[in-house]
Parts: sequence; C-alpha cells; structure tokens
Amino acid sequence: MADKEIFNGEAVLSFDNEQDRRNFLKWAGIVGVGSTLAVGGFSRSASSAQAEDSDLAILNYALTLEFLEADFYTQGIDGGTLSGRELALVTPIRDHENAHVAALTSTIGDLGGTPVKSPKFKYPEGTFSDKAKFLETASVFEELGVTAYHGQVTLIKNVDILGAAAAIAGVESRHAAILADLTGGKPFPAPVEGTKTMKQVLAAATPFIQS
Amino acid sequence: MDRRIFLKGTAAVIPATVGLQMLTTRFAFAQGSDFGSDEDVLNYALTLEFLESEFYRQGNAAGVLSGKEAQYVQTIGADEDAHVAAITDTVMKIGGTPVEAPAVDFGGAFASRDSFLKTAHVFENLGVGAYLGAAGFIKNKDILQAAAGIFGVEARHAAIIGNMLGLPAENGVYMGSTETPKDKASVLKAATPFLAGASAMTGGAAVTL
Repeated sequence: MADKEIFNGEAVLSFDNEQDRRNFLKWAGIVGVGSTLAVGGFSRSASSAQAEDSDLAILNYALTLEFLEADFYTQGIDGGTLSGRELALVTPIRDHENAHVAALTSTIGDLGGTPVKSPKFKYPEGTFSDKAKFLETASVFEELGVTAYHGQVTLIKNVDILGAAAAIAGVESRHAAILADLTGGKPFPAPVEGTKTMKQVLAAATPFIQS
Repeated sequence: MDRRIFLKGTAAVIPATVGLQMLTTRFAFAQGSDFGSDEDVLNYALTLEFLESEFYRQGNAAGVLSGKEAQYVQTIGADEDAHVAAITDTVMKIGGTPVEAPAVDFGGAFASRDSFLKTAHVFENLGVGAYLGAAGFIKNKDILQAAAGIFGVEARHAAIIGNMLGLPAENGVYMGSTETPKDKASVLKAATPFLAGASAMTGGAAVTL
C-alpha cells in the first residue's frame, strides 16, 4: 500500500561498486529479504534462521534504514522547499537520523560486527523540489521506520541493545506524528504502534536493487 | 553508571566498550530492584495510564480546546483509555491483580488551554521515560511488544502536544535523538503531586509511595 508510494516502484538502491553490492546482498541474505532474492541475473535463497536472530543483523538492518532516512532528509532539507516552523521541525529530524547512523555504526563495531556501508539511494524525480512530495514521502518513511523497529522488539536478545533500539524507536514515533500532522494525516493512527517484519520492510524499502 | 542489567534473574555485565555512544550515556534501566515481575511492571504502567486517562477525561470535559487541537486530544484520551483496558486485561491474563485507579487531583490544570497542554506535555514525556525505564524488566515477549507499542504512542502524544504549545522543535517537540529512560523513583516523584492519596496505591500495587 503506502510502500508503493515511496518510490513509485522505481529503483532506490544502487552501489558504488560490485563489492559494496555484494556486501549488501550478503547481509540482505542473512536477514532474509524474501524467500528468494533475485538480483542482477542471479538468485540465491535467502536467510539462515540462525543468523536471522542475530542482534548484529538487526542492528545492520536498522542502520540501513537510518542511512536511507539520513540521506533522504539531507537531500530534502537541501532542496530548500521548507521554511518557518516546518523547517524548524524537520531539520532536527535530519540531525536525529544522522545521530542514529553514527550510534548504530559505533555500536555494531563495538559489538565486534561490521557495519553495513550506506547503499546509494535514488529517489523519483522531483521528490525534493516539491514540498508536499517531500513531506508525504517522509511521513511514509517514518511510519515504516516505526513499524520496522517494533517488528524487532521480541527478536533482540541483548537487553541493552533492546533498550538502545527502543530509545531510537521512540524518536521515530515522534517524527512520524509530526510529519502526519504536517501532511494532514493521522498523528495517532492506533493506540499501540504496529509492527512489520524485516521481510516486509525490506520489500518496501528495497523494491529493486541496481547493480 | 551501573551497567548491570537484570534479566530473568541474572545480572549480565555488558562490556564497557559496547556501544558507548548509544548505550552508556543515554540508556539506563531503572534500578535492578524496581520490579520483581512482569505484573509489577504492568501495574506500574497501569497506574500511570489511569492517571493519564483520568487527566484527559477531565481535561477534555473542561472545554478549553477547540478545532484540531480538541480532536487530537480526544484521540490521545482514547488512546490512554485503550492502554488502561489492555494493561488491565493483560494483568488478569497472567493471573495477577490489576491495581485500582488512584485518586487524583489535577489542581488548576484545566483552567486554560495552556495549563492543560503544559501538564499534558509533562505527563506524556513522563510516560515515555517510564516505559523505557521499565522495558528491560519485562520478561514475557508479548508483554514487551505491547509495552513498546504503547511507549511509541506516548512519544507521538508528547511530540504533538509539544508542537501545539509551539515549543522549540528540539527539547520541546523532540527530546533529543534518543529517548531518555526514567527510573521508577523519579517517575513516581513526578507523578505524586497529582495523586490525591497514598492509600489509593495499595492492593498489590508495584507502586509504593
């Protein structure tokens, strides 16, 4: 539904080089992007149930979404369509997403993992030159981010990581509410946050991967 | 900071190097002795939800809001009612005894739009910190999922009310790039002025004043 609105089905992920692409695929395979991930002419069966439970994989998953959000807001603010209160409300969102990227990156490293590198993102023409389009896409992203975090709550094993992830998720909920308000949507769509599985979220955020 | 985390009765020592930036300074669970069981956590949350639910019931009846603001706050009140119902149900499902609604006194909070919303802003941010501070004590995964889901919605409430008040985006609408947990003692200290009597908190409540 809303997922389709994000990029109108256009490719959103691209990589600097073949190695980056392979790294991403390796990770995506670990966490399970669909039962079969077909990219660039080859397909591989995804997912090992064992690794799917890994807190590191969850953190890298969160990191990828935060990369997407950080990049999105950076371009959106740079696009210059916002002013006044809207600009004041959205600028800290960009800063938060950057802080989340930094925090997740260092945490993954501290835990002995390898942080994923940022994919390159591509947005439909005009996303950042049209205020309404920017904010509506942002709203979809935030709701997706909220459900992504909440979808991992019961899967995170380390209670401290759970706490850290929750501390981020709460901020995403604030963002989601404000963007809903700015776009005439529903700041409080339900009494409890919804959940989406990694598979559902990745299907929404990475409909296509460009080689 | 005490880095020991209590989960399932064991103390896990998290290496000092773990996620320093994210974990050390901003995330601290409540004291290890704060909650002895999921029922304790739930009854703690239930007390806060009762407080919020009654707060919005009275506030919305006062008629100091209009238009979109009134609609938003009606929805917030309905959310709090839903939280009360859900937590009460859950406590009973796990064989516990839900706490009774505390007697409350909100003083002059409903005299004006501003005082209503300012008090609401305090409550919502208190709720956010309380849930985050208690989350680490929850052992049952379904309860954890529900508590997290409620926590997120309280954060939504806090942001929108902060925005209605025209507060600065940072440290008003948002409270930094991560939420900050609050331990039980500081939550209760903040809530106490609104509780009319300590006697209301008896009956197996995790909350003691």
